[in-house]
Amino acid sequence: MDKPVVVYEPFRAGMPPMRDYLRTLWGRRTFIAEFSRSELREKNYGTVFGQLWLVLNPLLLSGVYFLLIYVIGGSSDANRFGHLTATLFLFYLISNSLTGGVKAITSGQRLILNTSFPRVMLPISATVIALFKFVPTLIVFAAIHLLIGLPYSWQMLWAIPIFMIALLMGLGMSILISCINVYFRDVSSMLPYLTRSLLYLSPILYEASSVSDEIKSIQIANPLFYLLDSWSRVVVYAEAPTTFGLLHSLIWALAIFIVGTYFFLSRERDFAVRL
Amino acid sequence: MISLSDFKHEHSPHSIAVSVKDLGLTYTTSIDKKPTLKARLKSLGRGKKHTRIVNALSDVNIDVHYGAVLGVIGSNGAGKSSLMRVISGIVPPTQGRVEVYGSVSTLLALGVGFNPAMTGRDNVYLGGLAAGMSREEIDKNFDAIADFSELGDAIDAPMRTYSSGMYARLAFSVAAVVEPDILIIDEALSTGDAKFKEKSLNRIKELRSSDRALILVSHALATIEDVCNEVIWLNKGTLMARGNPSEVIAQYRTFVNARKSASSDEDV
Repeated sequence: MDKPVVVYEPFRAGMPPMRDYLRTLWGRRTFIAEFSRSELREKNYGTVFGQLWLVLNPLLLSGVYFLLIYVIGGSSDANRFGHLTATLFLFYLISNSLTGGVKAITSGQRLILNTSFPRVMLPISATVIALFKFVPTLIVFAAIHLLIGLPYSWQMLWAIPIFMIALLMGLGMSILISCINVYFRDVSSMLPYLTRSLLYLSPILYEASSVSDEIKSIQIANPLFYLLDSWSRVVVYAEAPTTFGLLHSLIWALAIFIVGTYFFLSRERDFAVRL
Repeated sequence: MISLSDFKHEHSPHSIAVSVKDLGLTYTTSIDKKPTLKARLKSLGRGKKHTRIVNALSDVNIDVHYGAVLGVIGSNGAGKSSLMRVISGIVPPTQGRVEVYGSVSTLLALGVGFNPAMTGRDNVYLGGLAAGMSREEIDKNFDAIADFSELGDAIDAPMRTYSSGMYARLAFSVAAVVEPDILIIDEALSTGDAKFKEKSLNRIKELRSSDRALILVSHALATIEDVCNEVIWLNKGTLMARGNPSEVIAQYRTFVNARKSASSDEDV
């Protein structure tokens, strides 16, 4: 007799066999892509004006903060505008990943109840969508960078690893929050306050250097603080990031990703009965 | 969680396809439809229960062999869909063990993964990928799917413009081209008009083969009797009978009628 291809045994809060899981996940990558594309298409991002909006939205956002800081606040430093837009756009990659991820599982009810697939695909596709929205803002920033005459150097290549860390952090947060929201549905209504607090606590509207040492030591608890600071140093000032900043964000990103994924994978077989 | 293209091995007829041993399934679901942190905090320290236990299946033993077409009957809430979900790996069992010897494709609901904002064409890809097909497989089968659905030019219109019959037809067509080792169909046959219903039934009959196992859940007893070569009857999560379709269906009918007359007596 053949060996069984799959065996289903009672659920224990434990990890699924990782090799099989990853193999299945990889086999489903086209579905992740197509699923994300359809979600974007649903929000009209498939049309010309929809895509224009992807560029216009970050521009308007930075315009609003420009008004706030430079017109009302009375500052006139081009670097600070560059800093504001660069960090704001990266922040939106993470916060879009969070807002997309929070309902990834709860709104995928039909799919989850009727098909067997690695559930982690759903929060992953939320991050893919956030990434898709991030790309046009990168182009907008490149134009701003050129227009206001910010410096260039080879150090800017640091942007690549920092971006990868940001993506990992967004993914980890998306996976974690989608899982939490299955058990506590009101998390999704609290999320806007969380992202708003993160926005103000992170060096976006101000620069990390202007913060007192006392507050800086508290900011170690903020996963985004040194990430956004490093990003700003690299893409705005064309400097190398500090080792501490890089390590701080990497450790946070890895921690959130590992905790989130562990939490998710060990619970995901329980989702079908919780929806 | 096995994609269809992963396993394409030969099965000798009558070898086992699905083995269900002492299967028990109890759901622990939250009492509130939507569990919230707020509710949890409010009841902190009051010893209030947040979950309740639902017995969906108990001590179910079934072997499904290759070449078999197994019909599953029973009244609403008998545990039919739960059993299918356990076999397809969507819900983990609470007790016992389920062994599956091949690739499983499930058709538990129509149009899973469809996005109404997209065109029929896009949804063929979306639904096919959701069902575990690869893009190449869908490319290869696209014309067959479109033909089978009889949608004509409407395939390029957004799905929100479809009538419910059109929607169901396309959904069934996508599912019908999948050729897995084990196919589980849960009440998905009653779609579209009479003509399409017959067409889908014929497709199911075509799918019967000695190296495939089909599991069919339906309330349409005549269809079950026509298509299946074995039937199991579930009631309140337990296996009441299994065997020859006409015999089991006759037993089930007697049971349902007996219960009906008993309840009508109560009314008097």
